[in-house]
Amino acid sequence: MPYFLRLLALLGCLALVTSASAADINADSYGYPISNAFEATLVTTPPELRPKLPADADINQRDYQIKLRPGREFELPDNFWPVTKMRYRLAKQRGEAPLIFIIAGTGAHYASSTPEYLKKLFYGAGYHVVQLSSPTSYDFMSSASRFATPGITRDDADDLYRAMQAVRAQHPRLKVSAFHLTGYSLGALQAAFVSELDETRRSFNFKRVLLLNPPVNLYTSVTNLDRMVQTKVKGIDSSTTFYELVLGKLTHYFQDKGYVDINDALLYDFQNSKEKLSDEQMAMLIGAAFRFSSADIAFTSDLINRRGLITPINYPITENTSLSPFFKNALKCDFDCYLTEQVIPMWRARYDGGSLAQLIDQVSLYAVADYLKNSSKIAVMHNADDVILGPGDLGFLRRTMGERLTVYPLGGHCGNLNYRVNSDAMLEFFRG
Amino acid sequence: MAKPIPLAVFFSLLQASNLACAEHTTDDDGFKQPMQHLQFNPGLDQREFERSTLSALNVYDPLESWNRRVYHFNYRFDEWVFLPIVDGYRYITPTLVQTGVSNFFSNLGDVPNLLNSALQFKGKRTLQTTARLLFNTTIGVAGLWDPATLMGLPKQKEDFGQTLGYYGTPAGPYLILPLLGPSNLRDTGGLVADFAAKSQVNWLNVAEVSTNHPEITLLEVVDQRSTVNFRYGQLNSPFEYEKIRFFYHESRKLQIAE
Repeated sequence: MPYFLRLLALLGCLALVTSASAADINADSYGYPISNAFEATLVTTPPELRPKLPADADINQRDYQIKLRPGREFELPDNFWPVTKMRYRLAKQRGEAPLIFIIAGTGAHYASSTPEYLKKLFYGAGYHVVQLSSPTSYDFMSSASRFATPGITRDDADDLYRAMQAVRAQHPRLKVSAFHLTGYSLGALQAAFVSELDETRRSFNFKRVLLLNPPVNLYTSVTNLDRMVQTKVKGIDSSTTFYELVLGKLTHYFQDKGYVDINDALLYDFQNSKEKLSDEQMAMLIGAAFRFSSADIAFTSDLINRRGLITPINYPITENTSLSPFFKNALKCDFDCYLTEQVIPMWRARYDGGSLAQLIDQVSLYAVADYLKNSSKIAVMHNADDVILGPGDLGFLRRTMGERLTVYPLGGHCGNLNYRVNSDAMLEFFRG
Repeated sequence: MAKPIPLAVFFSLLQASNLACAEHTTDDDGFKQPMQHLQFNPGLDQREFERSTLSALNVYDPLESWNRRVYHFNYRFDEWVFLPIVDGYRYITPTLVQTGVSNFFSNLGDVPNLLNSALQFKGKRTLQTTARLLFNTTIGVAGLWDPATLMGLPKQKEDFGQTLGYYGTPAGPYLILPLLGPSNLRDTGGLVADFAAKSQVNWLNVAEVSTNHPEITLLEVVDQRSTVNFRYGQLNSPFEYEKIRFFYHESRKLQIAE
C-alpha cells in the first residue's frame, strides 16, 4: 500500500473518532438515499444512482458446463438432469486481461442478479469474468460438491477451488494476466477460505481478494435470517396469510398507478407509495427468501446423501413425480434445522466429534483470522447496518482487517453494492 | 487511544440526526443493530411462514403428472432448439432491427389489447390503446417505431383470459402447454379466442399474409422468446415447477384485478 494512503488513513483516524483505523465512510458525504436497513436490502439502489454498465449485447459471454462429478449422472433421480454437470458463465475480453472469479451468495445461481451486476461492472473495467454458483445452491450441490452438505466452509472452499481449476483448464487459450477473487454475502466468507487454500495450492496466486458483506459468525447470521420470518406483522389474521397481504398491497399499488409496469425502479417506487411495507413485513420477506433457500438445501442434501429425512430412501422419482410433498417437508426446515439434522451429524462422523461451538469456530471468519490479519491482498467492505451481523462482529473485523476494512454507514445487506460510490471503490481496489 | 470527547459528541449527534430510526443504539464498533427494534411473535406462535407458504402451494393441478412431463419437454426444447435459434437471431440482427421487429409485433398485439379493454368496459384504457394503435401505425411507420410510449401512452396488456377472469370465470386446472409454457384452462381458451380475433381483424394484413409465409410466424415466435427474459434453471431450485406455478397463478390474479 502506498505511503500516502497510510498517511491518509492515519489522518482519518485522528480526525474521526473511531476505535480502529478502518476506513469509516462519513454518513453525511456518503449520499446513499435509503436509511432503512431492510428497505436497502430489498430494493438496493435507485436506478439513477447506479454505475454505468455495458449492455448485454456488448459482452462476449457464454455459459459452459463441466462434468466434475461423473457419478452424479447415475446417483441423481431423472428430474435432476439439468444439474448433473457444473455450469458457469464466462465473459471474455479480447486479448490478455486480468480474470476475476465471482462467488455467488447463499443459494444463488451464477446468473442471478447480483453476480450479473458484478460481472457487468468488472467486464466494463476490462476483466475476464467467471461467475460461479454458490456451494449452497442446488446446481452446485448436485454437480460439483463432494459431500453435498454445504455449511462446512473449508470443504465448500475446496469444492470451489476444484471448480475454479476445472474452469481454468477448460480455457487453456484464454490469456490471463492475473487472477482476482471476489464474493458477496456467504460467497465472501467462502472467498476468504478459497484465498487461504490458494496460498498452499498455488493454482492462481490471487493478486487481490475482496470480501463484500461477509458473515463473520456464520451461526449469528443464519440465526438472524431464521428469526426474520418470526416477526409480528400487522394485518395477518386467521383468514389472511402473509403472501396475500403483500400481494394485496402490490395489487392496490398497480391499481393506483393505473397500469402494470415492471422495471428496475419498481421496488423503490413501491416503497415510496402509500402501500409501503413496514420493517416487520420487509424482514418477513427477506426471511422468507432465505427459508426457500434453506428448503432447497435441506431437500437436495438429504436426497443426494440418501439420509431419508425429507425424501424416503429409495423413493422412486422420475420426471413426472410430484415433488410437492417433499417441498412441504423441506419448507418446515430452517437453517438451524438443517444444521442440527444434517451438517452436525456428518461433521461429527467425519471429524471425530466436536461441539456446536467448535463447529461455529471452524466455519466462520474466526478460522482464518490470522490469515486475514497478515494477508495484505484481502480487503473487506461492510455496512454498519447489515442485518446478517451481530454485536461484536464489526469489532472483530476492525481488529482483524485494520485499514483494509471499509465500513459504509448504510446499505443493509448488500443493498449498496450497486451504488456508484461503492462500485467505484471496488474497481479502485482491484486497480491499485 | 484517547477520545476527544466534544468531537465524539458532535459526531454521534450528526449520526443521530441522519438516521430515520433514531431509537437504534450504535455499538462502540459502529454496529447499528438493525434487528433490535423488530417485534417478534411470541415463541409458541412462530409458524406464520409455514402457514402462509403451505397454503400458497395449494394450486388446483389435477394434471400434475402430465404437466411435469411437458415442463421437462419445454425445458429441453428451450435449451437445445429455442435458445440457440434466439442467440443466432440476436447475433446476426442489428439491435435497431431487433427493436423494430419487436415494436412491429407489439403493435399487432395491441389489437387484442384494445378488444379486451373494450370488452371489460375500461374506458380510459380503451382510449389509450386506440390512440397507441393509431399513432404507432401512422407516425410509427406501421408499428416499427413506438412513439406512443414516448408520448406517455404505456402499453397495457389485456387478453381474453383476463376478460373471462374479470367476469368471474374460475381459472380451472393448471396446464403447461407444449412450447407455450404455463397456463390454465381459462387462459388457454383465451389464447385461442385472441388468436382467432387477430386473424379476423387482420390488422395491416399480417394475419392473411402469414398463412402463406410461415416465416413471419416464426419471426414472431423468435422475437417473443428473445424479449422474454425467463430462462429455465434460473430460479435454481429443485422445486422450480412449484414456484413457476405459484408465480403464474398469482400474477394472473394480479393482472385480472388491475
